[in-house]
Amino acid sequence: MESELRIDPRVLAEFLQLNRNILDAPKLAMAPDEINMGMTPHDVVYSEGKMRLLHFNSTWKKQVKTPLLITYALINRYHILDIHPRKSWIRNMLEQGLDVYLIDWGTPTAMDRYLGFDDYVNDYMNNCVDYVLNESGVDKVSMQGYCTGGTLATVYASLHSEKIKNLVLTAPVIDGSRDDTVVANLAKHMDVDKVADIVGNVPPEFMYYVFSILKPFEQGIEKYVQFFKNIHNKEYVENFIRVEKWLSDTPPIPGELFREWVKNIYQDNLLIINQMRVAGRRVDLKTISMPVFTQVAVGDHLVSPECSMPIHYAVSSGDKTLRIYATGHVGMIASSFSQKKVLPELGQWIKERSEK
Amino acid sequence: MYVCYLIHLASYTEEYEKSLGYYKHASLFWIDLISLMSSRSQSLMSTGPFRKLGVNAKQVGAEMIEINQELTEFNTRLGEYYKQLADTWNEAQKQFSKKVPEIPTDVENLDAIKRIWIDIFENYFTRLFDSQEFAENFGNLVSSELELAKHWNNVTSLMLETVNMPTKKEIDELYKELHLLRKRVAKLEKIANHGGNGNGK
Repeated sequence: MESELRIDPRVLAEFLQLNRNILDAPKLAMAPDEINMGMTPHDVVYSEGKMRLLHFNSTWKKQVKTPLLITYALINRYHILDIHPRKSWIRNMLEQGLDVYLIDWGTPTAMDRYLGFDDYVNDYMNNCVDYVLNESGVDKVSMQGYCTGGTLATVYASLHSEKIKNLVLTAPVIDGSRDDTVVANLAKHMDVDKVADIVGNVPPEFMYYVFSILKPFEQGIEKYVQFFKNIHNKEYVENFIRVEKWLSDTPPIPGELFREWVKNIYQDNLLIINQMRVAGRRVDLKTISMPVFTQVAVGDHLVSPECSMPIHYAVSSGDKTLRIYATGHVGMIASSFSQKKVLPELGQWIKERSEK
Repeated sequence: MYVCYLIHLASYTEEYEKSLGYYKHASLFWIDLISLMSSRSQSLMSTGPFRKLGVNAKQVGAEMIEINQELTEFNTRLGEYYKQLADTWNEAQKQFSKKVPEIPTDVENLDAIKRIWIDIFENYFTRLFDSQEFAENFGNLVSSELELAKHWNNVTSLMLETVNMPTKKEIDELYKELHLLRKRVAKLEKIANHGGNGNGK
C-alpha cells in the first residue's frame, strides 16, 4: 500500500520564505564588525593599565551634585548599558539628571595575569572614585555595580565605605552557595589553581563555552530562527546584531582575579560570611551602612536571585530596598521593561538620597 | 554477566596500565642511555644550540611520555562528556516521542510542536548541566586538558632555552616583578602627592 505524505501548503510556504530570508539577510543586516558599539558620547577622563574611566556627556540639566559611578562587570563589555538610544541605561540616567561615570576594565593581556581583587578594588576603583570626587567637588559618590561589577562594588563599599553615598547592586554575585546556575555548578568543581597557574588569564573562549550551555536550544537554535524570520524588521535586526556582537566580545579575566573570585565566592563562599580578605583586610558586609538598593531578576540564569538577595540582609544599612523584577539578567538593564520600570524607580531612589 | 564484564574490564585496565608503565620505562631507559653515551662527544660543541638540544632531549622525551599518558586520561574524560550528552539527547528524544507520537503537518501545530521540542530538550540538558556528575567530569576534563597544556608549555620552554630565548616561566616572573613594581611606584606616588604614611594610606 502506498503511503501518502500530506503537508499543509502553508508549511512549505513558510519554509521557502525562511530560506529566502536567509539569502536576503546579508542585504538587510549589517555585519557585526560594521557596527560601532556605545551610543552616548563620552570622554576618557582617567586611565590606568588597561582600565579606563569614562565620563558621559550630558545635554540634560544636572539635578543632583552626587555623581553616579558605574562599575561594569568583568565579563563582556559595558556596551550593553548603552546598546541603543531607546534601551540605554546610561542615557536614561543622564536624562534623569545624573552625572554618570563608568569603569571600563578594558582588555587584560598576559602581562595582567597577576592582577587580583586588591588591584581592582583598592587601586583601580579607589583611584577612579578619587578622580570623580575631585572633579565633582563632593565627598561621596553613588556607586552602581552590575553582575560581577556588583561584587566588586560590594567589596569596595565595605573597604571604603566613607566614600560611598548610595550603593546600587544590580544582579550582584554574592552568595555562591545559593547560586543554582550552571555557571556556579561548573565553578564549584573547577581546579581553579591549575587554570590560573597554567593558562594565566582565563581565555574568552572558555566563557563562550559556559554561555553556550546556559540555554542551548533557546539561544543556540531558536534565537537564530527568529532572527531570520524577522529579517525584514529593521529595529529587531539592528538590536539583534548589536546584542550578538556584545555577547561575542568578552575580554580575558586576569588569572589571579579569577582564582580569588572562584575560591572566595563559589567554592569557599567567604564573602557572605564576612571572611573574605583583600590585601589582608577582612571584607565585613556589616560596614556597609549607606543606603543600598538591590535589584534582582527572577528569570536570571547567570546569577540566580538567591545568590544576589542575601546582600540585602547582610548589610547594616537602615535604608535599604530590594526589588525583584520579572525579567532576565540582560532584560533588567537593556530592554523596554528596564526603561519603563527599573530605571525610573532607580533614578528616583538615587536622587532622593543624593546631595542637591 | 555484569560481574564478569567488570572483572574483565578490571583485568584489561590492569594490563593496559602495565604495558603503559613498561613503555614509559623502556623509553626513559633508552633516552637516558643514549644521552649518557653521547654526552662526551656533545660537550665538544658546548656553546652551540645542538649541545643544549642534546642536554634537553631527555626532558623533551620525558614530557612527550607524560603527554601520552595524559592523553589517555583526557580521552576517557572526553568520552564520558560525549556519553553524557548523547544519553541526555536520547532521554529527551524518548520523552518527546512519548509526548508527540505523530508529527502534525499543519502550520499551527508544527509551531506548537517546535515549542514542545525546545522545552523538553532545554529541560533535560539544563538538568544535565546542573548536575554534580556533569560538573565533576567537566572539571576533570578541563583539568586533564590543562595538564596537556602544562607539558606542552614545558616542551616549548625547553625548545626556547635551546635557542637562548626567554621561557614562559621567565616571562611570567618578569610580569610578576612588573606587577609588584607598579604597585610599589603607585604607593610611593601616593606618599609623595598626599603625604601619606609608609603604608601608602
